[in-house]
Amino acid sequence: MTQAEIKLCSLLLQEHFGEIVEKIGTYLIRTGTQPLRMIVSDTGLSLDQVKKALCVLIQHNLVTYQLQKRGFVEYEAQCKRVLRILRYPRYIYTAKTLYNDTGELIVEELLLNGKMTMSAVVRKVADRLTETMEDGKTMDYADVSNTFVRLADTHFVQRCPLVPEAAETPEVPPPPAPTLVVNEKDMYAVPKLNLIGKGKRRRSCDEEENREHKAKKQKQDGEGAEPPPDDGIYWQVNIDRFHQHFRDQGIVSAVANRMDQTSSEIVRTMLRMSEVTTSSSAPYTQPLSSNEIFRSLPAGYNIVKQVLDQYLTLLADDPLEFVGKSGDSGGGMYIVNLHKALASLATATLESIVEERFGSRCARIFRLLLRKKHLEQKQVEDFAMIPAKEAKDMLYKMLSENFVSLQEIPKTPDHAPSRTFYLYTVNILSSARMLLHRCYKSVANLIERRQYETKENKRLLEKSQRVEAILASMQATGAEDVQLQEIEEMITAPERQQLENLKRNVNKIDASENQVDETIFVLESFIESTLKKP
Amino acid sequence: MAEVKVKPEVPDPVDIENRIIELCHQFPHGITDQVIQNDMPHMEAQQRAMAINRLLSMGQLDLLRSNAGLLYRIKESQNASKMKGSDNQEKLVYQIIEDAGNKGIWSRDIRYKSNLPLTEINKILKNLESKKLIKAVKSVAASKKKVYMLYNLQPDRSVTGGAWYSDQDFESEFVEVLNQQCFKFLQSKVELSMEDIETILNTLIYDGKVEMTIIAAKEGTVGSVDGQMKLYRAVSPLIQPTGLVRTPCGLCPVFDDCHEGGEISPSNCIYMTEWLEF
Repeated sequence: MTQAEIKLCSLLLQEHFGEIVEKIGTYLIRTGTQPLRMIVSDTGLSLDQVKKALCVLIQHNLVTYQLQKRGFVEYEAQCKRVLRILRYPRYIYTAKTLYNDTGELIVEELLLNGKMTMSAVVRKVADRLTETMEDGKTMDYADVSNTFVRLADTHFVQRCPLVPEAAETPEVPPPPAPTLVVNEKDMYAVPKLNLIGKGKRRRSCDEEENREHKAKKQKQDGEGAEPPPDDGIYWQVNIDRFHQHFRDQGIVSAVANRMDQTSSEIVRTMLRMSEVTTSSSAPYTQPLSSNEIFRSLPAGYNIVKQVLDQYLTLLADDPLEFVGKSGDSGGGMYIVNLHKALASLATATLESIVEERFGSRCARIFRLLLRKKHLEQKQVEDFAMIPAKEAKDMLYKMLSENFVSLQEIPKTPDHAPSRTFYLYTVNILSSARMLLHRCYKSVANLIERRQYETKENKRLLEKSQRVEAILASMQATGAEDVQLQEIEEMITAPERQQLENLKRNVNKIDASENQVDETIFVLESFIESTLKKP
Repeated sequence: MAEVKVKPEVPDPVDIENRIIELCHQFPHGITDQVIQNDMPHMEAQQRAMAINRLLSMGQLDLLRSNAGLLYRIKESQNASKMKGSDNQEKLVYQIIEDAGNKGIWSRDIRYKSNLPLTEINKILKNLESKKLIKAVKSVAASKKKVYMLYNLQPDRSVTGGAWYSDQDFESEFVEVLNQQCFKFLQSKVELSMEDIETILNTLIYDGKVEMTIIAAKEGTVGSVDGQMKLYRAVSPLIQPTGLVRTPCGLCPVFDDCHEGGEISPSNCIYMTEWLEF
């Protein structure tokens, strides 16, 4: 774990869970696997606090535990998983585009709570949706359930590992920490629930008081009646599936940029067909025959079979090599070359960074080196058609920033500099790692700046909150307009402007964090895919 | 009977010289000492040598070495007039430079061929240059190196670098302009086959604006080489500028010095302040 990663994790934990959880989380990330006693003694917090914090972390899948052979339990923080907190907005947004507001809220609730039962999710989401609807309308539980089932079918949500139902013999005491297992087949099986009901709207003040008694009575009855039918079956968000989706999105948009809309639709169809058949870390998808692809094209696209074949051939011959032909049966078997696609995306990201940082001529040299692998100084000048002095300057600048490295090839055994070849080369994997580290630090910087901006204006924010509270209470008690206006004027115009600025800045920094996270995703996927290759 | 003494004819030195020149004209490739001897057998070796030396110093004869021995060749009249004031060493150097043709020859190589010391060479070269018999051309390969060639010759392409160089300076503006023009040309056409400016097209490929494919083509179609043809097509970039470069940190020059609590920190970053006000 690099310093930048640890810093970013601690910032994220602090922002989402508070000081105490942050302290314990950071301690675990920094020192690795630790038992409970060590955590208590090293962090200086009370046992109770540590226990609660660990509960929170485990609930959110940020910390795992393991029973050691000697009989005590050790806790380990998952640094990578903590970094995913940065990507929560992207997950929620994707769910929204695929399954509308219902899907969005389901995913949001699951992310905020870590693990939940289906009935709890459905109830909560229905309540929230009812709030936003017009007066008199409510959200039916059935709709929410349907969306939930669809999310489970497409593997976006999955079941959490359970305590195995082992027959407990009286002699053997239950182990201090249960070992959770998950049955592969059941991971996406939705329990048969009969959820009937509608969302409840949270009424405004006076009505609520009348209802409170009723509601309390109902609750007590309800609780005593029976536990929810799916007690013990918890669901969580399947992050890998979302990552697969982002990766597919990236590939499709790259094809659309390089070729045209139709080809990108064909690639999207191929990827959709391979969603559940190919594991997310495979280098290529399963072969698909051209007939299958033709049948699975979306309804709106009426292209003839021959045109589809032509497109497939074009895609397979393209220098991009995203699609490859693996056989001739069934009209031609085609695969999507996932690893190559990720490599191309990562390379394009690197080139984009070099171009923005150093200029388009440096980008030309960079791409030249990527193509030709190893080149001498003179050859770089000749191929790129850049005058010698400038080319030298650019190469040295990139060398100092570690985008480019030198390979020495001696002509004589004594390695004399005048008799050695010096070849420039680009190593994509190490450049990707270097830039990933830079991304982490950038996001940490952005978060810190955002917190600083908010802190600077804390006084003003508190004041505006007080004024709003006064306004709300006065409106409720029916104050006159004149009095309301007086209160509003407590915030002067420049102060209002300052608040506007603050809001705008915070939003800008937030958006920027998400954008850097996109870069992080591309680079991380590429590094993972390269390391997993046999 | 009175003894007729045949007075040995003492040939006139001028006559000898004229006779030698005539012989040289007869044999334009050059005559050896033997030929002169055969022609004028009564001439003594010393006289012969004197005449030849005089002709050489006057610049009317060329001295060459061949495997048969020494050769004397008549020198062209215009050259003879040119070289009147020069001495043998200069003539030798001039000969060497002439032989180098339009590629020119480096001063060190002149030294090797003529076995003259460096100071002499430099003096001679300066002399010849001032007489406008040779000129120095800066090589594009190594800018400090000067090659010498005859004054009226056109330097070879390898020396001056061809179309991309003018006055030994890389014509970067020219390259830039051509770069843009080729790109615009290619953008308006779907597929095109080019050969003459392949190097410029390659730079467009390295810019990521153009891609190339090789297709099999029939022999005889325009632009095909060995049954293959290169096709170029303008393409748009694979992705939009990536997220990292949209934040100030991605392009920050002092990124490595920045940490919270230091002189340069996210809280007081001026780049961020500017960016937020944008």
